[in-house]
Amino acid sequence: MLGLRARSRAGWRLSAKPDEELIAEVLGGDTAAFTELAARHRPRVERLCRRFFSDEEMARDIAQESFIRAYTALATYRAEMPFGGWLRAIVVNLCYDELRRRRRRPEELVGDFSAPEVQWMQTANVASPEEIVGEAEQRREAYDLAHRLLDMLKPEDRTVMVLKESEDMSVSEIAQTLGWSEAKVKIRAFRARQALRKQAERMLATGRNR
Amino acid sequence: MNCFEARQEFSALWRKTATAERRAELLAHLKGCEKCDHAFRVFALTAPVLHGEMEQPEARVSRPARREFSLADRPRRFASVSRETSVQPNRWLAMSAAAAAIFIFAASTAYLSARTPDESLGEALSISDVNIDSETAADLLAPEIPLTENDLAS
Repeated sequence: MLGLRARSRAGWRLSAKPDEELIAEVLGGDTAAFTELAARHRPRVERLCRRFFSDEEMARDIAQESFIRAYTALATYRAEMPFGGWLRAIVVNLCYDELRRRRRRPEELVGDFSAPEVQWMQTANVASPEEIVGEAEQRREAYDLAHRLLDMLKPEDRTVMVLKESEDMSVSEIAQTLGWSEAKVKIRAFRARQALRKQAERMLATGRNR
Repeated sequence: MNCFEARQEFSALWRKTATAERRAELLAHLKGCEKCDHAFRVFALTAPVLHGEMEQPEARVSRPARREFSLADRPRRFASVSRETSVQPNRWLAMSAAAAAIFIFAASTAYLSARTPDESLGEALSISDVNIDSETAADLLAPEIPLTENDLAS
């Protein structure tokens, strides 16, 4: 039951045919079965990509590329791990590569905040926790500012943060997905949290002072 | 609820997956604990991306209709290796023609503006065969320098 709930929260949908059966059909030559497989996993994959990139088009492109890579490498898939986990590893590695490809990364938050952004920072300063949650859902600037904060992290740090915080993955799972040591994952997570806290404090101070 | 437990529940509060009881406990804790309240505000700045549902509201982005999976939809930025190279003959043809025209124009301009010299280099540099005495020699070499007192007086 717990597993079922976790699956449905993560965006999985129960379908008549399990993933493994669809994969067998694809490998047997029925390429249409992959369409169903992709449709089933697409919301989850796109959501993960959007945690890496604020650019909607970029997120969709990487999601699409992930499915193509999965399709071409499907013969190498082994049923020991769920297809969703295997696909997630492809997505994460593509996102990580794309982050690394972007050479320039802002070291500090640029101070030119728009009026709605300042308003959101003020809300984060003074509103009650429930109001903050409600406001964040309605405000595009909350989403944009969060991306700006995360954009300052190194690609390694950001990848670890997304996997740990958003995907609720354990250190060993992250290490396995990225091919890193567990120590490296822990160090990256620690540094990422420190950097984020520092910048978020500055952002809150900006909201207080305006 | 202690501070450690409270901070573990931030994500559940954001995702609205906390039970009513846990939620009430957390909110009560945040009211009474200044440090955790501040930590929640810091958390809230990245939570829209890290803990949000990430379903874009309609107002944020107008999304095109969802497509079914198709290999032909490979994004351009990833397609440099495997996508069939799309040669654009018209564009290359136009560029080649423009380059050729520029070359012909430059070559003919250079040809037409060049003149055959009337005299050789030696002739051009040599002094003509005239009677050179000391005065004219001085004039030739430095005509602006007065040489005599008369010159100075004049």
